[in-house]
Amino acid sequence: MRAVYIVKRFGVFLLIVWLAATLNFFLPKLSGQDPVRAKLLAEASLGGYVHAGLEDMVNQYQKKFGLDKPLWRQYLTYLGAVSRGDLNYSIANYPRTVVGMIREALPWTIGLLGVTTLFSFAAGTILGALLAWPRAPRWIRWLMPPLWALHAIPFFLLGLVLSWLLAFKFQWLPIFGGYSAGANPAWDWAFVLDVLRHAVLPSLSIVLVSVGGWALAMRGMMVTTMGEDYVTFAEAKGLRSATIFTRYCMRNAILPQTTGLALALGQILSGAVLVEAIFGYPGIGALLFQAIEENDFFLIEGIVFTVIVALGFATFLLDVVYPWLDPRISYRQA
Amino acid sequence: MTGKTALGSTSRRRAIQGGMAAAAAAMLPAGVAYAQAANIPRNLTMILIGGGSRDGRWVDYELWNPYAIGANHQNGPNLIYEPLAYYSAFADKWYMWLAESYQFTPDFKQLTIKTRQGIKWSDRTPFSAEDVAYTMNALRDLGPKVRWGVDVNLALDEATAADPSTVVLKFKIPSPRFFFFATYKYDIGIYIVPKHIFQGQDWSSFKHFDIAKGWPVTTGPWKVTESSLQQKVFERRDNWWAAEQKLAPMPPTERHIWLPMVNEQNTAQAQITNHSDFGNVLQPATFPTVIRQNSKVTSYSGQKSPWGYVDWWPISLYVNNQVKPFDDKDVRWALSHYIDRQQLVAVAYLGAATVSALPMPPYKPLLPYFDAVKDLLAKYDTLEFNPKKGDALLEAKGFKKNGGRWETPDGKPFSLDIIGFGASGSAMGPVLSEILRRHGVAASLTLPPNFDDRFQKGQYVGSIYGHGGSIREPYDTLRLYQSQSIAVPGAHAVNFSRWKNLEFDKIVDEVYVTDPKDVAKLKQLFVAAMEIWLPDLPDIQLVQNYHRIPLNTTYWRNWPTEDNSYINDASWHLTFPIVLWNLQSA
Repeated sequence: MRAVYIVKRFGVFLLIVWLAATLNFFLPKLSGQDPVRAKLLAEASLGGYVHAGLEDMVNQYQKKFGLDKPLWRQYLTYLGAVSRGDLNYSIANYPRTVVGMIREALPWTIGLLGVTTLFSFAAGTILGALLAWPRAPRWIRWLMPPLWALHAIPFFLLGLVLSWLLAFKFQWLPIFGGYSAGANPAWDWAFVLDVLRHAVLPSLSIVLVSVGGWALAMRGMMVTTMGEDYVTFAEAKGLRSATIFTRYCMRNAILPQTTGLALALGQILSGAVLVEAIFGYPGIGALLFQAIEENDFFLIEGIVFTVIVALGFATFLLDVVYPWLDPRISYRQA
Repeated sequence: MTGKTALGSTSRRRAIQGGMAAAAAAMLPAGVAYAQAANIPRNLTMILIGGGSRDGRWVDYELWNPYAIGANHQNGPNLIYEPLAYYSAFADKWYMWLAESYQFTPDFKQLTIKTRQGIKWSDRTPFSAEDVAYTMNALRDLGPKVRWGVDVNLALDEATAADPSTVVLKFKIPSPRFFFFATYKYDIGIYIVPKHIFQGQDWSSFKHFDIAKGWPVTTGPWKVTESSLQQKVFERRDNWWAAEQKLAPMPPTERHIWLPMVNEQNTAQAQITNHSDFGNVLQPATFPTVIRQNSKVTSYSGQKSPWGYVDWWPISLYVNNQVKPFDDKDVRWALSHYIDRQQLVAVAYLGAATVSALPMPPYKPLLPYFDAVKDLLAKYDTLEFNPKKGDALLEAKGFKKNGGRWETPDGKPFSLDIIGFGASGSAMGPVLSEILRRHGVAASLTLPPNFDDRFQKGQYVGSIYGHGGSIREPYDTLRLYQSQSIAVPGAHAVNFSRWKNLEFDKIVDEVYVTDPKDVAKLKQLFVAAMEIWLPDLPDIQLVQNYHRIPLNTTYWRNWPTEDNSYINDASWHLTFPIVLWNLQSA
């Protein structure tokens, strides 16, 4: 039964991926813009001078990218290429490949958003649980109003304030970039610390905004869970307060949070566009922003496809892992 | 604790540990190629924030072949590929470089270039006339596949290396400007490539990047030691031929770090905190803030407005001469009379700009041509703000005012949809539209993402754009308005304004075959062309384009300035190496 369940779920995952890939192919084309022409015109008029023979150049590259072929043919070629993991060349950055560009941006985004999402989740979930717990220290409650207030502020706005205060005014942290100017990217502690130091400001702007949201959601679930009969029963049995808090309340209240975490982890691949833009962080969000600006169809398709696959895969994993987290859920059909 | 689950006995702790390991691995930087960096102190390093980058990354960090279609010479290849010659329009000065001299035949159908001896590529292969001939012939053959290919293909028949230091170029048509075309100035010039590396490669996709192999190879004083999304690092080569031959001093900077621009705020902050020596273009309003907080920051015009220099790209309001009613010169003149350019400069640029009477910049070598049309400009004053004259011109054409708004002779609102792009569009567009609206023209502004496409296809009514034309003599500006050419068969007509005048086209053809050194004849032809152009006013002159670049003097001085105008200071231009060998330690 377990294998059938997993195969079915995987089938749904593949269906989602195909649908998404199809939409992904057709939607950018509805804009009616010609990315090759736009790119070549921008290149050709570099610095204000207009090159000769632009039309010839456009035709050459339309041919090279297969954009001179009928749409259905382009679609089939696209599906074939995608199934082989070939996401084509970036039109705006030829001869760079889409896979190569995504590969070099992904670690930055996963590093930044992966860590901040996990940290925000952990901190927010614990804080939210403590906030609902009547025996928690009173000072915890003082933490929440500012965190909720921060939750209402967009990442990028907080980022601007933090950048001005901590990087410019006090000069404690770097203004922008992934590592210091002139730093030698080597596998040593000095470089790792340098990278981490550059990640502090963007991370802080994301964490400070996110923690409140996770805490708020967890607090609500904890309040509901604490009213359940099994919690009352556990208290009546005289179990230790910490045991009731962690095993009876938190463990049950955390399930919707876990769903949220899986989806959030899937979404990190789309990056925090504006945060990356403010801090010059070379992640995938900024890459997508740039691809849209340049109508780079292949790059847009590649990034969105990767994000969809990641989200679909996160959902698939969640389906598989859920019974492990909550024994009440089984692989059997209802 | 071990969680016994339906999946088996997987340890949660192990799962968490695995996740943390994955997260740590993900933090490691990707897309980096580098050589072990030398320990060079800050006062021998120049940190530059480059504008050719996008959203805080060098997307082209692997592309060191400037002919690759996604590559951009502005982002570093301008330090790597030395030219046959440099030209400074500011100083009106030639710097013969890889070429020692050149000579045309009297009919301009053959050009002989003598290249310098004793030059080696960084991999120790001697540079020779073969490299020049190969570059030229390859461009001719590649044509539309690469930048400059069509330009070379139109003119060049064959380039031959007669001996190791002599190249003979035979042309299909008289080409008196070919050497100047190949010379580096602003963003134009032919990059001479090493034949032994480029031969057999597909130029449109060859990257010429492998630091371990010493690529990109160069004849210049800089080698690339790191190139990544985050930074491009160049270190000085101490055996630069030009210093050995006493052609230029060895640059005092031992290392260059080019950082990608993130945004204006970060660029300003980096200047204030001395984290960069050279920033990308800033808005006029930002300069006083930066200088107030760091007195070591200056600009081409010093610590005063306009905080920069006049670029070669005077900006106009283009109207599509094929769209009614803008096909009528009186309507174009009426619009010109409605524009208060001083107000435009005051509001759009906080006074930090100047107006432009003709579609070419007032550079020293062009001043004789401005002088030659002084009388014509007095008669056809392209800068005159005179709404009454504008009203009279429209009324004479049957336009009527209704409730303060102009209506065309067929009773429709007189509207002008203007498109724009970049800094000029966002700075001037709203102000210009408002000025025209106040004089009864229903002007509107959009900044479409496909501006270039629409503008160059003529799919516009009004547009804010500049002129990439002349810097030394008038041909390149006149060429912008030519609708067809007999002198250059197959030539691509720029003609953004879609204006057509066959008499004008003939004069421009005559300018094309005239020796650029024959200033007297060129002046005469220029006046004849302007006698046609000015009354017709194909596009409406507005302002000069400025490059406002912050220059930090904490570590480096002798940047180009008004008083020391040896070149313009844009790092993205092909002439930036001239700035580098003129810099001095502070």
